[in-house]
Amino acid sequence: MAAPSELDTPRSTIQACPTCGAGAPLDAHFCPQCTKILPLPRRADYFSFVGVPRRLNLDPSLLEERFRSLSRQFHPDYFYNATPAERRASLERSSYLNDAYRTLRQPAGRIEYLLKLEGLAPDNPTEASRKVPPSLLEEVFALNEELDEIREQRADGAPAETWRARLERARQPIERKRVEHETQLEELAARWDAGSSDGERRAILESLRDRFLERNYIANLLATIERELSST
Amino acid sequence: MSKVVGIDLGTTNSLVAYVKDGAPVVIRDASGDALVPSVVSVGEGGSVHVGREAQRRLLTDARRTVYSVKRFMGKGREDVQHEAEHFPFRVSGEAGGVVRIGLGDKEYTPPEISALVLRELKQRAEAHFAAAGEVDNEVDRAVITVPAYFNDAQRTATRDAGRIAGLEVLRIINEPTAASLAYGLDKRHAGLIAVYDLGGGTFDISILKVEDGVFQVLSTNGDTHLGGDDVDVMLMDVVLRELGDGSAVAQPFRAADKLTPEQIQEIRKAVIQAKWDLSDRTETDIVVGEYKKHISRAEFEELIEPIVARTLEPCRQALADAGLQPSQIDEVVLVGGSTRIPRVRQAVAELFGKKPHSELNPDEVVALGAAVQADILVTGNRDMLLLDVTPLSLGIETMGGVVSKIILRNSTIPATGSEMFTTGVDNQTAVDIHVLQGERELVADNRSLARFKLRGIPPMPAGLPRVQVQFQIDANGILSAAARELRTEVEQAIEVKPSYGLTDEEVERMLLDSFEHAEADIAARLLIEARNEAESVIQATEKSLRSPEFPEIEKSELAPGERQKIESIVAGLRMVLNSSDRETIQKWTHALNDATRHLAEVMMNRSVKAALAGKNIDNM
Repeated sequence: MAAPSELDTPRSTIQACPTCGAGAPLDAHFCPQCTKILPLPRRADYFSFVGVPRRLNLDPSLLEERFRSLSRQFHPDYFYNATPAERRASLERSSYLNDAYRTLRQPAGRIEYLLKLEGLAPDNPTEASRKVPPSLLEEVFALNEELDEIREQRADGAPAETWRARLERARQPIERKRVEHETQLEELAARWDAGSSDGERRAILESLRDRFLERNYIANLLATIERELSST
Repeated sequence: MSKVVGIDLGTTNSLVAYVKDGAPVVIRDASGDALVPSVVSVGEGGSVHVGREAQRRLLTDARRTVYSVKRFMGKGREDVQHEAEHFPFRVSGEAGGVVRIGLGDKEYTPPEISALVLRELKQRAEAHFAAAGEVDNEVDRAVITVPAYFNDAQRTATRDAGRIAGLEVLRIINEPTAASLAYGLDKRHAGLIAVYDLGGGTFDISILKVEDGVFQVLSTNGDTHLGGDDVDVMLMDVVLRELGDGSAVAQPFRAADKLTPEQIQEIRKAVIQAKWDLSDRTETDIVVGEYKKHISRAEFEELIEPIVARTLEPCRQALADAGLQPSQIDEVVLVGGSTRIPRVRQAVAELFGKKPHSELNPDEVVALGAAVQADILVTGNRDMLLLDVTPLSLGIETMGGVVSKIILRNSTIPATGSEMFTTGVDNQTAVDIHVLQGERELVADNRSLARFKLRGIPPMPAGLPRVQVQFQIDANGILSAAARELRTEVEQAIEVKPSYGLTDEEVERMLLDSFEHAEADIAARLLIEARNEAESVIQATEKSLRSPEFPEIEKSELAPGERQKIESIVAGLRMVLNSSDRETIQKWTHALNDATRHLAEVMMNRSVKAALAGKNIDNM
């Protein structure tokens, strides 16, 4: 549960290399002087750490290429004979790289992460995902009613094909909502990438956040239907 | 330079390999045999036999002979209850504790048995290097392979086995990934690879993406209790049923429960031979003494179909986790002796829609890959890089017995994850944390890895402390944890000991040939000394804090917050006390010494004064 506060605000823009004492930029992975691997001084944001632009539409091959290249520079395999400090730095940087790669790989992961970076993530994600988004009230209400009736039907021993067909029908409007949301998220993501002013971007991001929470809620609804379908 | 090797510590057989002139080779004995059966036998007089000789003793002294010990690694007594009856040796252990195997009047843990196999491989390699005229032929470091689907406890048990055998375990790597490294040597192109590894006791499937020499595991799945052993048990059941109900024509044994363990082993040997035969022929006989049973390949295939089917579901899951369709896989690699069974090959070919690779000997390919990895570690050769994943999700217990996942399965390792904890009641200074591994929602359905108490939380109103516990899975797939209270910045090291693991002290006691490893012993002794010193400083401090005159001293002589500072350092020192990090223990001990110096002076002055005062009274 990485809270936004995990991203320390940089107190200075320079760090001292523990090996040779030379000054190194805070974003550097290796000391410019002695070339030794540097400890991870702060939780840099994933985009800049990996060295990809802060965009929601990210070229997957660029991310892959950066991931492989940095893995080859950081991996603990290559620090087996190094000093304990370098080994620790290698472990820290490799772990951070892997976490960054996993987060940025999926479009949804990027949106979620960006919201967090911009301080727009819900304080309590679990709670937020349970609250019914106002725009979905109608669908959720209808679905819950339908599910109750189906469960009753099942309890009364209705044949599987009857209630299964009903569940499938109940799924359709939710599935349409899902597709709708995916499209909207893609559009908003493209607009954020292209956004020129901070104010404009902030406004887009707020819409993105609302759509994103709704999307997660929809995914939970679909999972509920799926569980109901697979239960015997 | 001493030598490094790669070791495939298998359920049925083990092998050792090394890199010679840039290419990995397995080490064979004088007769050209590379396989060391993973069998250990302890004779009446305490003589230890490993490998072929131990295997022979299964037929003469079965009760004192252990095989397939890998199935018991990292397991608790309860885990293996139903299985233990299939084995001639005695399986025991305390409830909730590590499995113990009784041989004669001694008991061994699975890592100790495995260590005997490892030592045999070590000695084989050393003899090989000596024969090759190497000056320094000592083998003291190794990469050891484990099934990809092994959990934290099983990996830790394997690493412990290496240490007990006197080996520095450079790295624990996954068998299918090791195999892909061995194949990667002459196929340096990009593509998606599926490695299907059906060994003696375990099944793994790994999906990899290879590009620019980086072997990136996308997903892995498997079953650590599925392999050739299960085929053997099925065939044995067929034979035992026939012998039991008297329908067989000639019967050397009347009923299964009247058989001696040696006779059962004879049947086991016969069915294994028949299984092998059926890989090349379409029919054979199972021959035990005068008993003979004809079996066709078709009958055999029908019998083992459930086993084959059980391997396919993990394959589908791994593909789904990697977001791939079977047809997208470019190459399929077969690993493990059980992939010699034609039906297994056929099922794999059908699933992926292509003929699987088997150019390399499926028994040897894992050891070859381990040797390549060992070479990468010691030489820093950067031609290839292996990026593996953690096979199981890591989580912690939350309210209501539900697991909250912190690191998801198939995350590339090393990986980190963190979780925030707080307190439920005012002035609570400790929180219980239960770490689990598995995919299920409920605690009860997952594997308990460890429980630990997070201590030393500064007393605050409930809900105010913010303790961040950071979990780290290293490149071996092994877990560690550290905690930090964010308001006070108090750091705490936590050692996560597996629920079914050995303590460091136990491992130290088990060290084989410890005289060969004086250096390791010195490090261990220094560690123990550091712990002892820390303990005595803690004791002295606590004695002062509890003394009757302390409240008065605190009021009149100590600075505000001085006591709190001392208490928090004591808590911190307690936290690191059981870690094996000597430097950290010493650092905290020094900190405590510094923090209590003033208090010690005050108390000393007072006792001197009191003594003088006493004298005065006496003199009067």
